[in-house]
Amino acid sequence: MKKLNSLPVWILMLLLTVGLLAFGTLRSQGPLTQQGRIDAVSQQLACPTCNGESIYVSRAPAAEAIRNEIAREVASGQNSDNQIVAVIETRFPGSVLLPRTSGVESLIWILPVVALVGGLCGLWLIFRRWKNTALLNASEEDFAIVESALRKMNDVTDDEYL
Amino acid sequence: MLTADKVVAAAHQGLAGPLGRAALLVGIIASVFGAIAAIYTAREAVREEQVRTSRLIPRFAALVLFAAFAAMTAMEYAMITRDFSLKYVQDHGSRSTPALYNFAAVWSALEGSILLWVLALALSVSAVVWRYRKQLGDPLIAWAMAVMFIVLAFFFLLSFAPANPFGVGAAGVTDGPGPNPLLQNHILVLFHPPILYLGYVGFTIPFAFAIAALITGRVGEGWLVETRRWTLCAWGLLTFGIILGGWWSYEVLGWSGVWAWDPVENASFLPWLTGTAYIHSVMVQERRGMLRVWNLSLLLATFSLTILGTFLTRSGVLNSVHAFSESDIGKYLIVFFGLIVAVSLWLIAWRGDSLRSPGSIDSPISREGAFLANNVLFALFAFVVLLGTVFPLVIEALQNRQIVVGEPFFNQLSTPIGIAMLAMMSIAPVLPWRKASEEVLRQRLFWPAWCGIGALVLSLLVGANGLAALLTFTLGGFASGAALRQLVLAARRQGWRGLVGRTNGGMVVHIGVILIAVALAASNSYTRSQELSLKLNTPAKFGGHVFELKGFENEKTDRLTAVKAIVEIDGGQSYAPAITKYVQMGNNIGTPSVKSSWRYDLYLTLEPPVKSDSGEARIKVFIKPLVMWLWIGGALMASGTLLALFPGRRRRRTTDATSARIPLENKQNA
Repeated sequence: MKKLNSLPVWILMLLLTVGLLAFGTLRSQGPLTQQGRIDAVSQQLACPTCNGESIYVSRAPAAEAIRNEIAREVASGQNSDNQIVAVIETRFPGSVLLPRTSGVESLIWILPVVALVGGLCGLWLIFRRWKNTALLNASEEDFAIVESALRKMNDVTDDEYL
Repeated sequence: MLTADKVVAAAHQGLAGPLGRAALLVGIIASVFGAIAAIYTAREAVREEQVRTSRLIPRFAALVLFAAFAAMTAMEYAMITRDFSLKYVQDHGSRSTPALYNFAAVWSALEGSILLWVLALALSVSAVVWRYRKQLGDPLIAWAMAVMFIVLAFFFLLSFAPANPFGVGAAGVTDGPGPNPLLQNHILVLFHPPILYLGYVGFTIPFAFAIAALITGRVGEGWLVETRRWTLCAWGLLTFGIILGGWWSYEVLGWSGVWAWDPVENASFLPWLTGTAYIHSVMVQERRGMLRVWNLSLLLATFSLTILGTFLTRSGVLNSVHAFSESDIGKYLIVFFGLIVAVSLWLIAWRGDSLRSPGSIDSPISREGAFLANNVLFALFAFVVLLGTVFPLVIEALQNRQIVVGEPFFNQLSTPIGIAMLAMMSIAPVLPWRKASEEVLRQRLFWPAWCGIGALVLSLLVGANGLAALLTFTLGGFASGAALRQLVLAARRQGWRGLVGRTNGGMVVHIGVILIAVALAASNSYTRSQELSLKLNTPAKFGGHVFELKGFENEKTDRLTAVKAIVEIDGGQSYAPAITKYVQMGNNIGTPSVKSSWRYDLYLTLEPPVKSDSGEARIKVFIKPLVMWLWIGGALMASGTLLALFPGRRRRRTTDATSARIPLENKQNA
């Protein structure tokens, strides 16, 4: 058992995982089908009449009409997905579901990063503080007393966490 | 001429309104008096041992329960007898709604759903009083009761004033449109809202105990132990309610998804996130007496988020498909929310000194450390969801233009957070308390890590691609390995008892969460769809299956006209996606038909317009991998919560005192 879980074996396992992930990520599934493109575009746009549902989700007549329009655009094959989105957005301003990365709207992207960095810094600070306070001025004798007391208590093993 | 029959009928019609109003009034008065009795008891209990007013608490609790039941019964009675003198019945009732959906119509709009909330809260108050009937003289319990009575009084007031379901409607109305058509074609409308509300309301109990602990100054671990099961129950019900909502969406809405990041969905997900963070980090406090302020804040956040969520979605400030009509209720809710936050923060600041905990954490690589990191992730997730939900309001306030923040935003941010959570779930369950050595980690994580590699290889073999999905499958395998390790070791030691208790039940919940994560990743990443124009008796192929239109079934009643397309799959069983048009509403409502299997679902919808005499139908077919595992995962989460409610094997000792040396070698032959 000792040999099996040694550090080199772990490094091999890590390399194997990274290799397999890279293989799976890079291999292509082929281009999207027409329906796949229609679905992908309609997931990026809000239905104009239905309170924030996407065109993909909504069954309202307006969403149905725009889905058909996207289908026509895709079938004609002239525009890319982004161009189709842009065409529809000019007709229904504010219908793109993904907030922009510029202007005030960029706040929605920046604030989560700020929160993450803040959380991680908080975590780091708190661990550092604890590390500094955790040092005990206990002598060897103190440890011996505590350990013998614990041995008496530990006739039952702690089953809560194995 | 006035006959006796007519008098009885007149008294009959319209009796529900006044009775319901009276019941709500009784409810307000009884909960206010209940709160007064509880506060008096709590204050006197410091001086005397037996406070006589404590005996009044159960009586007021019985009275509020009676009042809430009476109000609900009056509303149901009005709905069932089609009492069109009430505005609510005029708006949401109809003579032609089938009995079951008519019963559920009571909570199909704002006023009735607040009434359901009142009933759920009155039930919780009574349950808590019953559980602590012998300890009502204890100041902690008495204060908790006072808080619960106050919250209940607020909801009775909401139902009495701005969200009055018993308002009198226009004269002469003899029929109504019935509930929203989407709320009358699946049995889940009977279960999803009440269970979700029980979950929301359930968090009032730990909130009340937290406030009571702050007021009495007994901020130690006693109140945590008292509320452990209540919190777990509330969390379990909220979880189950959310999953039922996803199921309903899948079976009814026809876009083949379970979650659309709609504001109302987010409003239920926010307290779930903070509640989940709490049930993890509370273990650190129970074991080590630490994180007191943090745990209190999480509970207060959970409860106030249920109120904020109700405000955002029920007041008309945010648009959502779930949102009911606009009303005055928003002002009441936002004031109540402000009050809760202000009082909670003030109490925490006031008790600041005694909240400072004595312990410290030895190492970040320990179970305590993992719980803390988990909490950072959950808090971040909650922040992202809240931000995305209220961001349109911010933009409207700043720039006076409307934007929609939708699924693509939430998907982009929740994917990395979810993957980080899976990574935590892989490692945290094997970490010992206090400190883990590298050797212990290498040994305990060895087989779980191979489960992860196995899952990765398997998913590559079946053709999976894409980094996010592959990471989800790998970490899903790893995390289930870690959870199974705990369950197997516990079962080997303790037999069937190895499956109960908080840790082991929790691991069953983990496996449920992993199944849901894997199923979501697979169904979101690899769904294929195609619209098929089917002609009668002419087979069409898609995704290795043969679809053949066998005919149409038409249904026409006073209430609706429906057309079903009968589609045979692979020459076997027939499926019948339908489109229904409700006479009173006008809109087409699609009803999907699903063929489920453990590998993938075939999800069929009938696309409008349907010309059944032409012998042609447009059928959209979605092939959705692993969807069934969502429901299996949900069932596992529910059963894991039940297992966690059972007492585990009693521990003789808690974690070693901080004065003990940290055992770095692996003591157990795990």
